[in-house]
Amino acid sequence: MSLRDRIPAALGAETLPLLGFLGVVFLAFSLATPLFLTGANLRSMAFQMPVLGLLTLAMLVPILSGGLNLAIIYQANISGLALAWVLIQFGGPDASIGAFVLGTALAVLAGAASGAAMGAVVAYVGAHPILVSLAMMIFLRGLGEFLTRGGDISGFPEFMNVLGHGSLIGVPVPMVVFILAAILWHIMLKRSRHGFSVYMVGSNIQASEYSGIPTRRTLVLIYAISGVICAVAGLVMAARFNSVRVGHGEALLLVTVLACFLGGIDPFGGFGRVLPVAIALMILQALSSGLNLIGANQHLSTAVWGLFLIAVMALRWVGMRWRDRQRKGT
Amino acid sequence: MKKFPNAAAAVALAACASAASAETTMGIVVKIGGIPWFNAMEEGIKERAAELGVSAEMIGPTSADPALQVRAIEDLIAKGVDVIGVVPNDEAALEPVLKKAMDAGIKVVAHEGPGLNNVDWNFELASADGFGEAHAELLCEKTDEPGKYAVYVGSLTVPLHNAWADAGIKWIAENCADKLQPVGDRYGVAESVDDSRSTALDLIAANPDLRGFLAFGSQGPIGAGRAIEERRLAGKVHVMGPFSPGQGQKLLKNDVISGGFMWNPAEAGRVFVTMGNMLVNGDEITSGTEIEGLGVVEPDAATRNIITDNLLEINKSTVDELAAKGL
Repeated sequence: MSLRDRIPAALGAETLPLLGFLGVVFLAFSLATPLFLTGANLRSMAFQMPVLGLLTLAMLVPILSGGLNLAIIYQANISGLALAWVLIQFGGPDASIGAFVLGTALAVLAGAASGAAMGAVVAYVGAHPILVSLAMMIFLRGLGEFLTRGGDISGFPEFMNVLGHGSLIGVPVPMVVFILAAILWHIMLKRSRHGFSVYMVGSNIQASEYSGIPTRRTLVLIYAISGVICAVAGLVMAARFNSVRVGHGEALLLVTVLACFLGGIDPFGGFGRVLPVAIALMILQALSSGLNLIGANQHLSTAVWGLFLIAVMALRWVGMRWRDRQRKGT
Repeated sequence: MKKFPNAAAAVALAACASAASAETTMGIVVKIGGIPWFNAMEEGIKERAAELGVSAEMIGPTSADPALQVRAIEDLIAKGVDVIGVVPNDEAALEPVLKKAMDAGIKVVAHEGPGLNNVDWNFELASADGFGEAHAELLCEKTDEPGKYAVYVGSLTVPLHNAWADAGIKWIAENCADKLQPVGDRYGVAESVDDSRSTALDLIAANPDLRGFLAFGSQGPIGAGRAIEERRLAGKVHVMGPFSPGQGQKLLKNDVISGGFMWNPAEAGRVFVTMGNMLVNGDEITSGTEIEGLGVVEPDAATRNIITDNLLEINKSTVDELAAKGL
């Protein structure tokens, strides 16, 4: 095995081309504006990316299993509401760390429960995940709007500010949370029994069932864990905005799907890794911040995201043809 | 590792300093980009920036989501602008990031955000009570037969729209209760033409005695007007509300929209730049200061609000002129 084969084998075939793309984006923007490669901008990007990143991790595993979780934004916000409710009960801005821990526990529980409910319906009723998660999304949005009357809950204790805007030896705390979660996700998918089951279920659920993989339990677990990471995203959002509202982050839902596909996750399930998705997230963030810095129209930056996805798909196809030809040649 | 942030901060400071010495730069983040109201505001911003010789840009997110506004403001802080202007979608969600901006020494000017704390000034071209009452009075005047009326707001979380609605509903309850009764709660649909239209169709179907709409929110009167046009109820059901004259010109002339008041978004854009420039130059804004576009102001130093009444009536005689201005 030559080095050229070994690196892609260790990191995933998608990683190197995406890193190259990231490099090109960075180079282009640093040539376009001197403001791009500054500490201030890199920090700002590192503060912005984690919420999208955590939500993308929540989307990633359901897609790997051949499904989709459309409810992530509202799961995150419902979890945030659970936390906010506990904090308000304990005095809002004066709430103690204990109340925060309790609220966090309740938030994670809310995320996990809504996820597990979806997983159970997908696994035992056999409904399509798109339908189930769409229903859950509508339910949670309605519930949240009803509980808050569409308004927001704000006024959280000062220490929560650290979670949203603090830094740990120069690295933004939300980024630390995201990096830890991404590493955990990588280990879960590549080293754990559950991760193996996820790939198998995503590749061929019937074959997995006949091979003795507990497919139903796996599906329930997939959506429950997706709900847990949604709750974490909800906590970070609550800390960043110092408020919770059902509609926060609505615009990010489809961007998470975009990030997964850019990162080479197979839309039909079964194949994909965490690292390329993390790089895809960095590319999206760099595009968005870079276009903002040069003062481009926001709608243009959405258009560029779309173009970029098309370009990546085209390049992927070219790459596959090229690899096929090489293989035939030898 | 520890050295890196310091070095990064030094680079950032150098970048800020060089930007500041060159030219005053401003970034104004609005609710959503690509709709006529904020297109007009952008024109005002560009025009005034050219007059004052400063550099100003408007950022309009692709959807009215506060999360996108937070991202845009963070990018502006990173860019090291001198002034950040904002028309908030959700006041509470923006407080932490605006605090970050102010801590970085950036001047913050808001519009339509009277409850914001982390701002230098928030300015309004219409007082909440005056604006709501003006519409309510007009609706009462136009209505002949007793019946019901519906209230639209941009979203249930936009405090200003709700304050107008409160003032309008209160005025009708006090002065016009014999003619008009509210139907249901207010509807948070008025930033979307389609939602306003379909809600209006439902309301018309459910309430045969519906007499009018108080539609607060830029797309509300247009959507409700289209519904009335489809049902051929022009002249029977009246629509009042602030709208973009160019967009509603035809509907107004066909008597589908009865009229409304507005303030000029282009003027608001100009005021953003004027005030930003004053703040950067260190001009004090106190009682009696004259600000171009606002007139002589009475700022409220405790709440950081500058509230003025610069209402423009939109009716058949003024609409053409307003529309010609590109609104």
